[in-house]
Amino acid sequence: MARIGVFICHCGTNIAATVDVEAVAAAAREFPNVAFATTYKYMCSEPGQAMIKESIEDYNLDRIVIASCSPRMHELTFRKMLKGTKINPYMLEIANIREQCAWVHTDRAKATEKAIDHVKMAVAKVGKDKPLTTSTIPITKRALVIGGGIAGIQAALDIADAGFDVTIVEKEPSIGGHMVMLDKTFPTMDCSACISTPKMVDAGAHPNITLKTSCEVEKVEGYVGNFEVTIKEKAKYVNHDLCTGCGLCQTKCPTKVPSEFNQGIGTRPAIYIPFAQAVPSKPVIDPTCCLKLTKDKCGICEKVCPLQAINYKDETKYTTEKYGAIVVATGYELVDWAKMYPEYGGGKYADVITGLQFERLVNASGPTEGHIVRPSDGKEPKDVVIVKCVGSRDQNKGKSYCSRACCMYSAKHAHQILDKIPGSNVYIFYMDVRTPGKGYEEFYDNTRADGAQYIRGRVSKIFKEGDKLICKGEDTLLGKQVTVEADMVILATAMEPAANIADVAGKLGISIDSDRWVTEAHPKLRPVETQTGGVFLCGTCQGPKDIPDTVAQAGAAAAKVMALLNHDEMETSPMISSVDQTKCSGCGYCVEVCPYKAISLIQVPGRDGNRKVTKTVADVNSGLCQGCGCCAATCRTGCIDLKGYTNEQILKEVDALCQ
Amino acid sequence: MALSEKDIELKIREEAKKALATGEVSCVIGWTTTRFPDKMKPFFAETEAECDELVWNKYCINGTAKYALDDRYPSKKFAIIARGCDSRAINRMLKDKQLLRENLYIIGVVCDGKENPICEECQHKNPLTYDVLIGEPVPEQIDEKRFAEVEAFEKLSPDEKYEYWAKQYDKCIHCYACRNACPACNCVECYADQYRTGWQGKASDRIQNQVYGLTRAFHVGDRCIECGECERVCPMGLPIMRQTRKMLKDINDLFGDYECGMPDDAMPVLGGYTLADPDEFM
Ligand SMILES: Cc1cc2nc3c(=O)[nH]c(=O)nc-3n(C[C@H](O)[C@H](O)[C@H](O)COP(=O)(O)OP(=O)(O)OC[C@H]3O[C@@H](n4cnc5c(N)ncnc54)[C@H](O)[C@@H]3O)c2cc1C
Ligand code: SF4
Ligand code: SF4
Repeated sequence: MARIGVFICHCGTNIAATVDVEAVAAAAREFPNVAFATTYKYMCSEPGQAMIKESIEDYNLDRIVIASCSPRMHELTFRKMLKGTKINPYMLEIANIREQCAWVHTDRAKATEKAIDHVKMAVAKVGKDKPLTTSTIPITKRALVIGGGIAGIQAALDIADAGFDVTIVEKEPSIGGHMVMLDKTFPTMDCSACISTPKMVDAGAHPNITLKTSCEVEKVEGYVGNFEVTIKEKAKYVNHDLCTGCGLCQTKCPTKVPSEFNQGIGTRPAIYIPFAQAVPSKPVIDPTCCLKLTKDKCGICEKVCPLQAINYKDETKYTTEKYGAIVVATGYELVDWAKMYPEYGGGKYADVITGLQFERLVNASGPTEGHIVRPSDGKEPKDVVIVKCVGSRDQNKGKSYCSRACCMYSAKHAHQILDKIPGSNVYIFYMDVRTPGKGYEEFYDNTRADGAQYIRGRVSKIFKEGDKLICKGEDTLLGKQVTVEADMVILATAMEPAANIADVAGKLGISIDSDRWVTEAHPKLRPVETQTGGVFLCGTCQGPKDIPDTVAQAGAAAAKVMALLNHDEMETSPMISSVDQTKCSGCGYCVEVCPYKAISLIQVPGRDGNRKVTKTVADVNSGLCQGCGCCAATCRTGCIDLKGYTNEQILKEVDALCQ
Repeated sequence: MALSEKDIELKIREEAKKALATGEVSCVIGWTTTRFPDKMKPFFAETEAECDELVWNKYCINGTAKYALDDRYPSKKFAIIARGCDSRAINRMLKDKQLLRENLYIIGVVCDGKENPICEECQHKNPLTYDVLIGEPVPEQIDEKRFAEVEAFEKLSPDEKYEYWAKQYDKCIHCYACRNACPACNCVECYADQYRTGWQGKASDRIQNQVYGLTRAFHVGDRCIECGECERVCPMGLPIMRQTRKMLKDINDLFGDYECGMPDDAMPVLGGYTLADPDEFM
């Protein structure tokens, strides 16, 4: 017979003010198999824990219920406490009488009644608890970083500096991401390339870092500590082992297409190094526009290459490698504003540009060598309108969230224009100005002092009249319509996750929210973890943010990876699902619903009457299972149990509540 | 020209004999006569002579497909005489991985309805899956009244609904006939048969009967092929289809047009996980 101890916490006055804890203890003493029940001011404190341990000895308890805060808070604390006693750490149930009772009720009598019910259920459940033991799995001490923006680079450098091998998989021909496209960075206005390219070079030269550019993740198998990742390397058509990056080929290539790096302002050849500071600084051929590959003509690069590095027959290659941890750093893209906002010309006016295009325009190594000129006619604009929140904070047409960097980079852009073009005017249409960062408000103040004119309201229409772009909007502070005749318009367009994030998330078994941002395991307490063990996140793949936040998050993710890789093996949670294969029908619905791909159908020998047969049954991979319980809920036969939350235990709780 | 009832019967016998003659088929599942002229019964023809006992008329009502589950590890194939509903039942069990297609030889027969009220609502007179087909395919009708009964019932107050079902389940005798006939109820061991798990009380009282009815409705909810066998076999006349139709109606409302037992790859709506599944509540 079980001997249950019930410990009811006051949590100071957090619980005791609303719940009559003594009445709960008195009620608990009457529940079946309860050998001892008491209350204490702070159960989680040192003396609280000591009292529980003593009671276990004194009353010969073999399992306990702690009625306190959410198990998310202290279940682990109490499990650790039990490690030093004769009771298995899993012979413990938490009745959450704080968050689910005291904090959400005001009526003391009713709250007490509810708390008693919670305890009653926990007592019923703990009676069916079984000792569980953890097992260990070995850890492959290598990390994979997906995405080579500043987030991915920083995370990789930190992990590599700690002595672990890291691979960066970057889908573009160079690492660097968006940061290297920027001109200056707020609030300190240091040159973006000057601070990001040294990091790119470090990543390229680090003995522990392998760069895999023009690569994507094709398949992910395995689990925390033991991922097996297939990486797809797109054909580069240039043998990077031979190529020295002399760049002769790009000067001879006759093809010209819009340059991605320069955001369509300016062109690049078909064989190209994306930008001067690219890492690796070696070219690739774009097969969609190369004359040799599309029409079997030209072939000039092959002729001029002094090292015979050109290979038009190059093919997609696949390699499979093992990693212990994965960091997702796939970053952001800008929304396709032209589709969302036809009233801004829908892309038909060359002088309505995005913030990122402006970054290329003011950049000394950009297509205009840093001269701010209109893309249409090369003239210097005098009157510039900046429209903020294009696609952000717009539930009707765009995204409901705030893109966070735009307030600051718009102030930066205004400052740059006013600084570089004497006598210019900048009008910024805004909804709010948000400057929550160190030195940010001061930066915004300075921009206003520079003469930037902030108009509160959205722009409703932009159209062309002669040489001018007419911007019509409302000044909501004055309550009147305003019209600004501009030479150029810069749209601060919303960030959105990388286009293929759903695909990446699917392969990794991590989830994304309705806006497709990668979901962290807990928004406050586990901000760089995902729900899948061993998969971490950093940077703008998780949500819009600026560089300081991105880099800080990258360091945090790296620290988590290091903590994991520092062990030779790791404990796995025993609270995972298990299949009673004697009952299993082999229907495979659990396989379909498992978000972690932890279940597979296997063949086992069995009996059907007096015949020996081969049965198909479900089998859980204990390394992959995260204990979410989806399978248990799906199984109609009820032959899947989540250890620690077995069907029997849940039914006992329901019975207790309904009694 | 459409085949007469007699022509079809002869063709069925012919195809049944051919199937047995291959040596790969152990028996042909169809119907034969009983001592009542208006009652046919399921029949398993194992020899050429027995094939001549197979019949086809408007009283061939029982579903044929589920009998294939009687031997889950057959050494030879089952040949099944399959109408539209039977072919959907087969698709159901194939998708639920309870049958293997290579263990089946399906003799499809175009059916224009039997002496069975559900046939008036039939949307699939033509078999959807078969190895040979008897009869010319006919145009299908859309059943406009598929959810009419449920819609009318939804208008009742919760109390009225409860009262209605409570009375119905007072009649239920816990015989599990509905489950035994249902092609979607194909678990190796039904939850209701398990002892000491706490799922299903064995008493036949209002509460336990309702628990059974509700659980069964949810278990087949997104997989019901609407053959109506459950309701037909119920000895106490419970309107069981009204439950499954309610589930299907809700699924149609939430997920778009939905029908089960089709020969496609689509998984039942509640039996899958995709990244597009909204999880903002997590
Ligand atoms: C106009 C503009 C101006 C800005 N100015 C500033 C500023 O002044 N100061 C500041 O702090 N912040 C600024 N920001 C914000 C800054 O750009 C971001 O905070 C930062 O670049 C985010 O870095 P990241 O590594 O998360 O993402 P990214 O830079 O987007 O990097 C992601 C990388 O992952 C790669 N990738 C994506 N998907 C895959 C895949 N499936 N497989 C492999 N690789 C993949 C991408 O190619 C990319 O290289 C500005 C943003 C904009 C739009
Ligand atoms: S509990 Fe089941 S569904 Fe959840 S991860 Fe484990 S095996 Fe998959
Ligand atoms: S109609 Fe009844 S017997 Fe037919 S599949 Fe649906 S629940 Fe089963």
